[in-house]
Amino acid sequence: MIVTKELDLLDIQGNVLRVYGRFRYPVARYVFLNLRDSAKGRAFVGAVTGRVTTSANWGPGPDQVPQPDWTVNIAFTYQGLKELELPRTSLIGFSPEFVAGMKGRKDILGDDGPSSPQYWDPIWRENRETREQDVHVFISLNAHTKGLLEDGYAWLKGVIEATQGGVVLLSGHLGDNHAVMDYQDGQAVMENGQPSAKEHFGYTDGIGDPVFEGLPRGSASVLGRGKQMADGSWAPLAVGEFLLGHIDEAQEYPPAPNPILLSRNGTYMVYRKLHENVGTFNAYLDEHAKHFPGGKELLAAKFVGRWRDNGAPLVKAPDQASKAAFDAQLAAADPQGQDALLSSFTYDDDMSGGRCPFSAHIRRINPRASLEFTRDPTDVPGSLKVSKDAFDTPGALTNRRRILRRGLPYGEVKDPTRDDGNHGIIIMILNVDINRQFEFVQQQWINYGNDFKAANDKEILLGNHSADERFASKAVIQVDPNGDDPPYFLSKIPRLVETRGGDYFFVPSMTALRMIAKGLVDPT
Amino acid sequence: MSNIAGKAYAMNVITPVRPYLVWVNKVIFWAALKLPSTLKGLITLSLIHYARWVIIGKNQFPHLAPEQPKEDLSYCYMLFFSNFNGSWDQYVDSFTFAIPSGLDMFWKWNIRYPKSVALTPFHKYIQYNQIETLHYYNGYPLATSNDVKSASAVRDALIAFDQTADQGTDAEFIKRYHTLLRGLQHDLGDMYPTPIVSMAAYQVEKRTRWHASQLSALTADRVQQS
Amino acid sequence: MTNISGNAYALTILSPIRTGVVKGEEIEYADKVRDLLESWNLLPNSPMTQVPQTYLCRFFVLDDVYTESLPGASVMDTFADVLPVVPDGVRRRILPKEDRLKSRYLVFSSNFYGGPQGDVDGYLRGMWNAIGEHIKDLWGYCYGFDQVRDAATFVSYMKKCQLPVTLFFVGANDEPLPAQLKALYLKQEFARFAVANQGLEAAVLRANYQAFIARVAPTNLSGPTWEPGQYRL
Repeated sequence: MIVTKELDLLDIQGNVLRVYGRFRYPVARYVFLNLRDSAKGRAFVGAVTGRVTTSANWGPGPDQVPQPDWTVNIAFTYQGLKELELPRTSLIGFSPEFVAGMKGRKDILGDDGPSSPQYWDPIWRENRETREQDVHVFISLNAHTKGLLEDGYAWLKGVIEATQGGVVLLSGHLGDNHAVMDYQDGQAVMENGQPSAKEHFGYTDGIGDPVFEGLPRGSASVLGRGKQMADGSWAPLAVGEFLLGHIDEAQEYPPAPNPILLSRNGTYMVYRKLHENVGTFNAYLDEHAKHFPGGKELLAAKFVGRWRDNGAPLVKAPDQASKAAFDAQLAAADPQGQDALLSSFTYDDDMSGGRCPFSAHIRRINPRASLEFTRDPTDVPGSLKVSKDAFDTPGALTNRRRILRRGLPYGEVKDPTRDDGNHGIIIMILNVDINRQFEFVQQQWINYGNDFKAANDKEILLGNHSADERFASKAVIQVDPNGDDPPYFLSKIPRLVETRGGDYFFVPSMTALRMIAKGLVDPT
Repeated sequence: MSNIAGKAYAMNVITPVRPYLVWVNKVIFWAALKLPSTLKGLITLSLIHYARWVIIGKNQFPHLAPEQPKEDLSYCYMLFFSNFNGSWDQYVDSFTFAIPSGLDMFWKWNIRYPKSVALTPFHKYIQYNQIETLHYYNGYPLATSNDVKSASAVRDALIAFDQTADQGTDAEFIKRYHTLLRGLQHDLGDMYPTPIVSMAAYQVEKRTRWHASQLSALTADRVQQS
Repeated sequence: MTNISGNAYALTILSPIRTGVVKGEEIEYADKVRDLLESWNLLPNSPMTQVPQTYLCRFFVLDDVYTESLPGASVMDTFADVLPVVPDGVRRRILPKEDRLKSRYLVFSSNFYGGPQGDVDGYLRGMWNAIGEHIKDLWGYCYGFDQVRDAATFVSYMKKCQLPVTLFFVGANDEPLPAQLKALYLKQEFARFAVANQGLEAAVLRANYQAFIARVAPTNLSGPTWEPGQYRL
């Protein structure tokens, strides 16, 4: 890949470009603050900004900075920016969904039933109800060890105390045994004493983050992670899909607040706490594994499109035999080769979903070029095929719906037969247009299926499945249309994942942070 | 106003065309009709129930009575009506991402059409020239264009299957039945009310009256349990 | 005839609305028409559910034509980009003119099953017979509607208001509406049957299937089926 664009690494916050988990930071703490005094709030932002971790290259080189023991990043809700007294002319430039916040968008997001705001953690339930309980500021700390995380937290508390009540820490995160905590902790799930890339259902997570132009460490990984071109090759996505102030896939600057120095190199972040109903998941999987022809692990893989143990994609490893061969290749490959094995594939040879079902997690979150498809009445019934050259570019319907995913699991599964433990994931999604990217994926691809010719059938794992018999959720596990098997139906899918809170944040650039701290944002 | 009826959205766009270019525009439409391959992108998108383009000559606005003043216009006008699935953003975006050159071919004869890439000028052009629907009726509000098509496939396959349902052993029956299911594996999605795309008070109330009331009992149960 | 695609028909009606004020209401005829149509939205379902063979249709009032345009999208702008000098007056003289309509129009656009011959007369007669009173309420404010007395005069009036379609694209299908509704009903029911009967022994499945077919009656269009415009399940 030719690097066609250089990013200002020292201007971009580190959590935007880096997946911290990959840099030996297996523990994190998320802290939310309420501003009681605007001037003191700005002073606080100034003090934190001095310690914020950027995307700078880490190392001993002349233009490099040493890797910190713990990282700091900061972001703001709309209310927070208002309390910091950004000019009205700047405020009206933020997107309507950012202004409304996650709670205000619950109908769009399908946060209904057990995911309704009334069941959220107290901090999120009380957010956007009264001025004193509004979440204004997000701070994330990521660390190499729990001890170092406490160092970072002690530092942060010191900065808060120095404001003498101008900035208040908001409590209300539910932890173990429903304890009400001052912060939300996240940590990698441990396997054999080592941090793993697993989440609590046992799936390997965090594969295939989008690659866009100018990423310093992305040069080898564009395969399967950028955008698919007409000739089958891959190219990095436009920067403007993930960072404001840069040209996007529609060849224009995405809508952003003025002045440009406020928005450039910033982005929007969706913070979402998702509880995992581990007991229900295990019971449902076990029940269907009794009937599903391919066995339990293949069925678990069909939910997501990847095998649980190592993330092997079903498109490449559709059965036990091919899985064994894939595992051998994976074991022999170097890190770059492993990335390509896991990420570099298309659905061109699986257009009917016989390998990776249409309702599987990865096919719904990132359909790649598979939405350029059609039915040919002369083909075997039950098959679909690539509708070659129908679109301007094969990934036309996908390239503007990509999102960067960050986050960590939280809690621990103490009893895998129960739902009510403290376990789930904190997911942070970064994109320049929450409505066009995150909300679209959530609404149209996770909670609905028309783009996949599946009517209202939802994505299996994250879908807001209803417990009402009249609206029972199902998914079709498709089969090879040329084979002899019938498709398998997953019936009455229970709600496997429940929203427990969250909000929409703006992640400013370092330049913007410095301007906000000084009260110098001025679009005049 | 009501641009939405169930899973369909009604779009009306009116744009001026120079009278001396109308024939070019008509030739393009005629060609599209004769060469179905030109509509391949539209067919692959599969988001449309029905769409039409109507070009009104500058002297062709209906004149019904002597007392009606005659129109005196400089331009001809193109009216575009579409019945599509999804929200405005989704539809306009899908079209500009997937078939920008097709859109331009149909519209570039319109005065100062900005072209479909970049997106924002195109959005503005459509927005300013769009006319809201006052009343929109949909014969099958629970169905998308995909659903209508797959419903035909299900019916035809089921009726064909039923011809032989009484023949042979149970084992032969189940083999044929599995073939039936396999052939319909992309046609059996459940049709429920549409995801919410509008937060207008009227739409919210309609959901409460017609859809959500069915779900509220369930939520009430949960509250009691917890 | 481009109003027809297969068996589907695209009817486009522009009826000029008279100029005048509704007696005692301080509201113009065109705004009254708009208000009447808005009030249809508050009924339990649309009056159009009663008009046979209507797939999708819409009503709106065309107040005027629009000429929103980009100032930088003309030929002269492109010349100005590449030539050293293009007098600004030249560029400005070709800015779009502003057109204004002299009447406001009630627009009715319907997609319906018309058969291979495009039986628009039959459709409009069906409309008159089903919702004649609603039609009189709306179109009563239009020029020339005073000639309408019955189904036949309504058909000839509407044809005078009809505009030919330049291109009609059918993205779904062109079956009669009752056939489409029955197919949708069958799709929903059969999906549920398939899920509920997964994994059963062949003999049981076969018996259940026969009961299912007896219940859903696939070839009987009159029922059981979905109602036109049905929102609820």
